[in-house]
Amino acid sequence: MSLLGMDTSTAASAACVLRSDGEAFEVAPEPATLMARPAHARELMPAVAAVMERAGLDYADLEAIAVGVGPGTFTGLRIGVATARALANANGLEVRPVSSLAALAAGIQAEAGAVGRGADEPAAARSIAAEPAANEPAAADAAPWLLPVIDAKRGEVFTALYEPGGDPKWGPLALRPEELAEHAGAAAERLPAEGDTPADRAGEARHTLLAAGDGSVRFRGVLEAAGIRVMSDDSRAHVVRALHVCRLAAGVRGVPPQAVLPDYLRAPDAKPQ
Amino acid sequence: MILGIETSCDDTCAAVVDADGAIRSNVIASQGLLHARYGGVVPEIASRHHLELVDAVTADALERAGAGLDDVETVAVTTGPGLIGALLVGVSSAKAIAASRRLPLVPVDHLHGHVTASMLGAQPIEPPYLCLVASGGHTFLARVDDPSTYDVLGQTLDDAAGEAFDKGARLLGLGYPGGPEIDRLARQGDPEAFDFPRSAPGELDFSFSGLKTSLLYKLRELADPPLADLAASYQRAVVDALVARTEKAFLQTGLRRLAIGGGVAANSELRNAVNQLGAQVWVPPMELCTDNAAMIAGAARFTSPLPYPDYLALDAQARPAV
Ligand SMILES: [Zn+2]
Repeated sequence: MSLLGMDTSTAASAACVLRSDGEAFEVAPEPATLMARPAHARELMPAVAAVMERAGLDYADLEAIAVGVGPGTFTGLRIGVATARALANANGLEVRPVSSLAALAAGIQAEAGAVGRGADEPAAARSIAAEPAANEPAAADAAPWLLPVIDAKRGEVFTALYEPGGDPKWGPLALRPEELAEHAGAAAERLPAEGDTPADRAGEARHTLLAAGDGSVRFRGVLEAAGIRVMSDDSRAHVVRALHVCRLAAGVRGVPPQAVLPDYLRAPDAKPQ
Repeated sequence: MILGIETSCDDTCAAVVDADGAIRSNVIASQGLLHARYGGVVPEIASRHHLELVDAVTADALERAGAGLDDVETVAVTTGPGLIGALLVGVSSAKAIAASRRLPLVPVDHLHGHVTASMLGAQPIEPPYLCLVASGGHTFLARVDDPSTYDVLGQTLDDAAGEAFDKGARLLGLGYPGGPEIDRLARQGDPEAFDFPRSAPGELDFSFSGLKTSLLYKLRELADPPLADLAASYQRAVVDALVARTEKAFLQTGLRRLAIGGGVAANSELRNAVNQLGAQVWVPPMELCTDNAAMIAGAARFTSPLPYPDYLALDAQARPAV
């Protein structure tokens, strides 16, 4: 069955139909839109209508509607969630909430291509790294851990750490970039395991952390100083793609539309108008 | 059948109205008490609650109307003015509902909704008429010659009348929202005990910000302030300002019909005073005076709808269109 997915956690508005035959019809925003003023109200529904039309589907043909629930920009998340819920309600569908950070992590992995798949595609593995892999010889062989970083404004980022393959290690959290650098450094120490060589135990097998997202671009300096690799500014990995929202939604249980709310991660500012 | 959605401030509203102005349902989920502890509407809290409530309120409005989405011919939604984050919840929801049925959608000016609220129901007011809208968010006088539009004759230059009540109530140690609290206490007081300023800027404009300062000074001056007298005198000053401008507008326009709207229309002294103006007065039931979606669906009857897909990129506007 087909899925419609969307994400509005950053300044970009992303939409995708993953049709039952496996074909994807996607509006994948350019990385430059992340730095522009958000315009979700003007962009989201046109993008949704466009991918539905390209896929040749009506809303009633869908199995469910998937939506990135953040964390991210509050107003953006509400536009995405309100849209997904209303479309689902009007068509008797369930909504599948997906973490926007998990979708961003899946995008990092996809763009990183063959990193970690071993020796068959070493060139691709190297091409994605901001720094030549020679910098950290031990890490070049291992798949990088994935660090999606969404700009949370007010000097903070929303972030979480995922293992290759997408298993969450920690997060989501709202952190200052310096806190993230510290946190990520500590979390990246590989836990000792049976079968480790003495070299492994000496800490040479420290995991590479590969970061992307508008927050990683903004705080590139702080993150790179902590040994975190950040994808190049023009990489598509910085955009939360609705294709990954759809793919992750395949493993998420659908819920009644009204039960879906953004993952704000922060209490509201309690200042009256 | 028109489905209306309104989320411009702190009430989550949906309603179903027929083309002839009959109200089939008018559901209002008020967040008033939620914001009470802050002494005013907190935009982010309001927006979060709109999102929590909007689907349920919409479903409730349809159910009470005995209708389903298949019966809806047009969707109407408030696009402004109001709190931008709050407006966008309703706009996003309305666009998605309309798009999923390829229905036409009408973007409605919230103030147009207030101005035409008296055109709903069994005895609608007929243009031309004068309209006084006073609430916590707006205070203005308009003339309506054609229901598709209105001309603002005068408006507040600073605080809204409802805001003046809120701020006055806070100074008097009363609760929020201030209007009903002051109204209640004023009944036990002498409205002529204190002389508060009736500021009269411009031709038909209003100004209420000096009033609360004046109340503050009175409270500082008095060792044992007579709260009921102060409340009654303060209320008299707000009502006098509203009524004096309305009277002047009648003289200038020669109109003889008046509709009042906005939450301040609940004020008992204002109701009495406008009834003594010698005009025919329409005071709609309270649920049509305060923010509601029936007035939005009602106003949509006088605005040309956007056909699908022309509204997909529709945005909200925090400020009134000039
Ligand atoms: Zn209003």
